[in-house]
Amino acid sequence: MFPFLKIMVRNLIQGPATDPYPFAPAHTPAKFRGCAVHDPEKCILCGICRHVCAPGAIQLRPSEDGSGMQFALWHNSCVFCGMCAHYCPTGALKMSTNWKLAHLGEERFDNAIANFIPFGQCAECGKRIQPRPRAITDRLGADNPDRFLLCPECKRTSVARLATEERRSHTQETV
Amino acid sequence: MLKFMSKLAPRSPWIYRINAGSCNGCDVEMATAALIPRYDVERLGCKYCGSPRHADVVLISGPLTMRVRDRVLRVYDEIPHPKVTVGIGVCPVSGGCFRESYSVEADISRYIPLDVIVPGCPPRPQAIIDGIVKAVDVLRNRIEEGVCSRS
Repeated sequence: MFPFLKIMVRNLIQGPATDPYPFAPAHTPAKFRGCAVHDPEKCILCGICRHVCAPGAIQLRPSEDGSGMQFALWHNSCVFCGMCAHYCPTGALKMSTNWKLAHLGEERFDNAIANFIPFGQCAECGKRIQPRPRAITDRLGADNPDRFLLCPECKRTSVARLATEERRSHTQETV
Repeated sequence: MLKFMSKLAPRSPWIYRINAGSCNGCDVEMATAALIPRYDVERLGCKYCGSPRHADVVLISGPLTMRVRDRVLRVYDEIPHPKVTVGIGVCPVSGGCFRESYSVEADISRYIPLDVIVPGCPPRPQAIIDGIVKAVDVLRNRIEEGVCSRS
């Protein structure tokens, strides 16, 4: 008898099933893939993000004076696949949980990340090289931190110098 | 009387969907945003209508393939002024994954002015509701000023 009473009482206790957004904040899962965020401090300009970006949302353009590169990511082209964050060797690109990206049509080109990343400098000759932030020196340059900060030519010279010195000491020992 | 009506009109915008060659992902999200009680866009006074002649807000998804271009434009021209266009997903604004493809006419704003853009692939239902709220604001301004979207 009165089977609806059970449902009515249950619904009265539980409240409405409707998600209250936009009148109350919406629940976002912790692993939700929203728009990408870029940390210019960690970026080493390797370009793997641009390579794996399927819709071509990421661009790396050299600046006019040649002092660095302009990193640009257009959210209106990004499909949130997260490949750039997956392949980024230093964790400079990450996917945030931000999905509130709706905007007016006039602001379409403002909805982007634009960061300038300056090149690094060779510790010996001062030539421009890829940036060497802490994020990459701690991992790849851990074995030989001094040589990791050199440009390719200085690195070759330093390796050759080291080899000659070793050889000289070796011959001196044998003599 | 007209002033009174124009005050009431943006309180119940009727929504019309156009699929301009979309992969159906955004269409599914649009359907969920409107139809199921969980995200219920009808709380905002919106209603999906079947005829473009009744619509105020147009939701366009898809990169406007060449195959549907003329049909989309014909349907779009049937919608009476003032109309507000909402681009759902990244396809209408940039082409997304189909960018620079031979059969794709994105950017859609070469043909249809996009008033509100909801990026995502597909966007969340809540993001679509966000875009509809923005579109209703645009519609309110447009009714007050009495301007057409394509002039």
